[in-house]
Amino acid sequence: MKKFISLLALAALLAGPTFAQPAYSGPMPVPPSDTRTDALRRAYLDRVKEVLVWYSATAKPDKPETIGTGQIVAKLALHQDAGLVSQRIIELMKQPQTGDMFWMFPWAAISFLGRDQLSAEAKAAIRDAWRTYFPMRGDTENHWAMYYSSLFLMSELYPDDPAGSWFTGKSSAENRAEAKGYLIHWMDLATTIGQGEYNPTHYIGEYAIPMLYLATWSKDPEMKIRGHMMLDWLMAELADNTLNGVLRGPNARTTEESVLERWNGLSSFFSWTMFGNTPPPAAYGGFGIFFAGAAENYQLPEVIYHIAVDRSQDYIQRDLKRTRRRWRYSDQFMPPVYKTSYMRRDYAVGSYQGGQSDPIQTHVWDVTWAVPDPRGVHNTLFSMHPYASTEVLQMYFTEQPDGLIDSLSGQGKPSFGVPDKILGASPYERVFQDLDTVVALYDIPPGTSYPRINGFFSKDLTQITEDKSGWIFVQGGHTYLAYRPLAPFHWEHLLGYRQLPSAHGYKWERVDKGEQGDKLLVSEHLKNGTIVQAASADEFKSFAAFQAAINALPLEFRLEPVPVVKLTTLRGKQVTFTYGQAPVVDGAPLDYTKWKLFEGLYLNAEKGSRRLTITHGQLKRVLDFNTLTITDSVTP
Amino acid sequence: MPTRNITLALLGWCAALAVSLAAAAPLHDLYICASNSRGTRVIGFKDTSLNGVYRREADGSFTHLGLNHPMTLSVTFDPRDARLFYVASLSGILRTPDGGQTWRVATDWDVTEPKSVVVDPNDPDTVYAGVPDGFIVSRDRGLTWVRAERGLPERGKYTQVVQVDRTHAGRVLIGCETGIYLTEDGAKSWRHVFTCAATVEDLQQSPHDPLFWLAVTQADGALQSRDGGFSWTKLAGVPAEHALYNVAFDALNPQRLALASWTYGLLTSEDGGRTWVERNAGLPVPHRVWRTAIDPDTGRLYAAVLDQALFVSDDFGRTWKAGGMEGSRITGFTFVPRAAR
Repeated sequence: MKKFISLLALAALLAGPTFAQPAYSGPMPVPPSDTRTDALRRAYLDRVKEVLVWYSATAKPDKPETIGTGQIVAKLALHQDAGLVSQRIIELMKQPQTGDMFWMFPWAAISFLGRDQLSAEAKAAIRDAWRTYFPMRGDTENHWAMYYSSLFLMSELYPDDPAGSWFTGKSSAENRAEAKGYLIHWMDLATTIGQGEYNPTHYIGEYAIPMLYLATWSKDPEMKIRGHMMLDWLMAELADNTLNGVLRGPNARTTEESVLERWNGLSSFFSWTMFGNTPPPAAYGGFGIFFAGAAENYQLPEVIYHIAVDRSQDYIQRDLKRTRRRWRYSDQFMPPVYKTSYMRRDYAVGSYQGGQSDPIQTHVWDVTWAVPDPRGVHNTLFSMHPYASTEVLQMYFTEQPDGLIDSLSGQGKPSFGVPDKILGASPYERVFQDLDTVVALYDIPPGTSYPRINGFFSKDLTQITEDKSGWIFVQGGHTYLAYRPLAPFHWEHLLGYRQLPSAHGYKWERVDKGEQGDKLLVSEHLKNGTIVQAASADEFKSFAAFQAAINALPLEFRLEPVPVVKLTTLRGKQVTFTYGQAPVVDGAPLDYTKWKLFEGLYLNAEKGSRRLTITHGQLKRVLDFNTLTITDSVTP
Repeated sequence: MPTRNITLALLGWCAALAVSLAAAAPLHDLYICASNSRGTRVIGFKDTSLNGVYRREADGSFTHLGLNHPMTLSVTFDPRDARLFYVASLSGILRTPDGGQTWRVATDWDVTEPKSVVVDPNDPDTVYAGVPDGFIVSRDRGLTWVRAERGLPERGKYTQVVQVDRTHAGRVLIGCETGIYLTEDGAKSWRHVFTCAATVEDLQQSPHDPLFWLAVTQADGALQSRDGGFSWTKLAGVPAEHALYNVAFDALNPQRLALASWTYGLLTSEDGGRTWVERNAGLPVPHRVWRTAIDPDTGRLYAAVLDQALFVSDDFGRTWKAGGMEGSRITGFTFVPRAAR
């Protein structure tokens, strides 16, 4: 609740006291009773309009500093105050430009939205900035998606301009060719061997917004349909991986806040906008306005909507993803990531096989339970090895070794180099998931930072019971959970981070919320493991009955020479999992080579196929990047 | 007669002045790559610092050249016309034909974060660049680029540094994550000449003896080659527990060498590399020396202390004074003969 209050304070700060942000601070959205296409469309456009109106209202004509790119996008999308906006743009363009690719996509949107509204001087000022300001291209796929989509569209808007008129020193045609080359390359990777920055809680906007812009404004029919199809692809994945709109793990990239308060990410803006099943974050996640500005040009396929809101049927989904590019110190450039998700009405369990997917912000596995209102709730349980090393950072970043870890804190990622962190992946973690059972094993070499396992126990858990059997039983929402540490442990308060004023980069202090806060189960043993099993409370007569059921299950484990677990799961599966070996289920070793790009109840695609089939009930949509076609059908 | 005498005297004075000026005028221009955000820049966030390539002026100040790019690492010049130069930047290879007035991102989308770029002085239409996933070359003055990786390993070809042998066109040494590689045919083929445990950070050829090369590494200390880079041995007396970032020769004194290190600060040798001493007294603490250089005209020693400033020493590190660029992170020094200007 404290977190919720602080988020409200943040929203108030962003919005000003007179501009309440309706969906953020209001009651939980109610699923619509009318799910016909027209009704869903109207509800979607109403939500989009809420964003635009709210942003527009934060712009005060007598206070130019209140009119930034978000407000300009809102006003242009609403066709308001073109004169005021033009004047403000001219002022803004006189200032030094900054923000790299995060500068590019807002100004691309403003250029297109303002084509028929802005003054000639304002349009010329923006256009000239694309000559005089040199935005960096960045070093990762979300950067490149924003950079090249924006460059492509602006080069289409000014199709015949010479090289000297662009910051790249390339003509409009050269810019378009380069941008298109990269974007198709990225789409090829995503649709054959999987996305790199998969299921990101914040970075989803950095893909979805550029794809929406391509779908909306590209004159090139190929890029227009590609943008549309990739946006469908992203939204289908979001729908499939959210529990009542809340995106849970695993995540290629997330943050210290989102990994605990699972709702608190830009992904919730997209769930709210598209599905209407969770509130948006404060200020619509910051970037939400840039989606809203063109959102009327996208229609969410009904099949995706139903996947998002229907949790009447349990389902398992297996996806193939890939790591961030490993520039050095690795035998593989983009190793595969084998992701598993099990979704039920009351909770979801998700994981990948462990190891490094991204150097800093990866979240490997969790159980996340459903709550009536996710705002301020830490509805998740997991363990992880808090790993920090310069060598791994150098694997992904092309920088010098010294100072890398320290610099991350100053760049807004405070926890990488601290032992009690709860965000990040480790090369010394191996994970296996079967339905709602997760086994995580750890074999940490001596001398590794840090020699411990952190288990996250939320402030929102109830009935915490340390059983003499070694299991820890807890309840989260309507979910019973059993957590078995495989080595001795102790409890610590999980300290938070409070940002401090700083002229140069981020500075932080740690905050202890005492007994009311979250707790860490800390196990300082190099050979280690965690077993978690989950069940709906409806499945048992009582919490005690759940405990009895877990305690009755056969379980053997040893930690030397490497951790090995042999157990029977709550679902009756015989699992043997040895660190460094393929898991064995009911006598059969898991064959990762057979993992498909998507395999599950709703999403299916063969590896290498460039073809995703999205189904729900009688509805089916096929996104075929081989033929650049979208095919909808209804099964009789 | 008096008028003639005065004229002669004036002519003589002017001639003397010209000789004097010529003697004092530096033969090289110094260019640096620098960023000024104190290491706290986050892509996408507000940053109004001025970064990129700077040139040292006669009064010792530095003038920014043209393009503000926050992450530049290496700059190289066409020896025929120094207005044509190339910069290795996070965005790719940047090329300017007019001394920084106009620029072009010379590489395509498939080249990211080049670490080092060098013109072949004996074949200046050819430009080489090391990139995180290998090596690229341009044969047309940087206009187009192609991969040139035959002989490099499929994995392990992260290339941090490129150096061209000034005595042979097409003879190039590169420092990679797996060691040192050599080409003698303009990057048509490569061979592995030394294995390292981690990235080779710098390679330099002696200005006195073209067969003498030095390398510094992340994990193997400093290395030397006395046969033009065919074989390498560890340089005794240089600590190897932590990364060394670059090495410099003194063009005026073959006995003088300098090494830069985050951990050790500035190390110098005045006996050709047999013994080394730390020369950190007078540098800011911690003395995280990111790069060093030795002025080929004066022997002045430079130490770029990370996010602090540039420091200069005219007694080879015994005393230091501030040399400008306060708050900067200098990532590369390049001395360019004035004849090319």
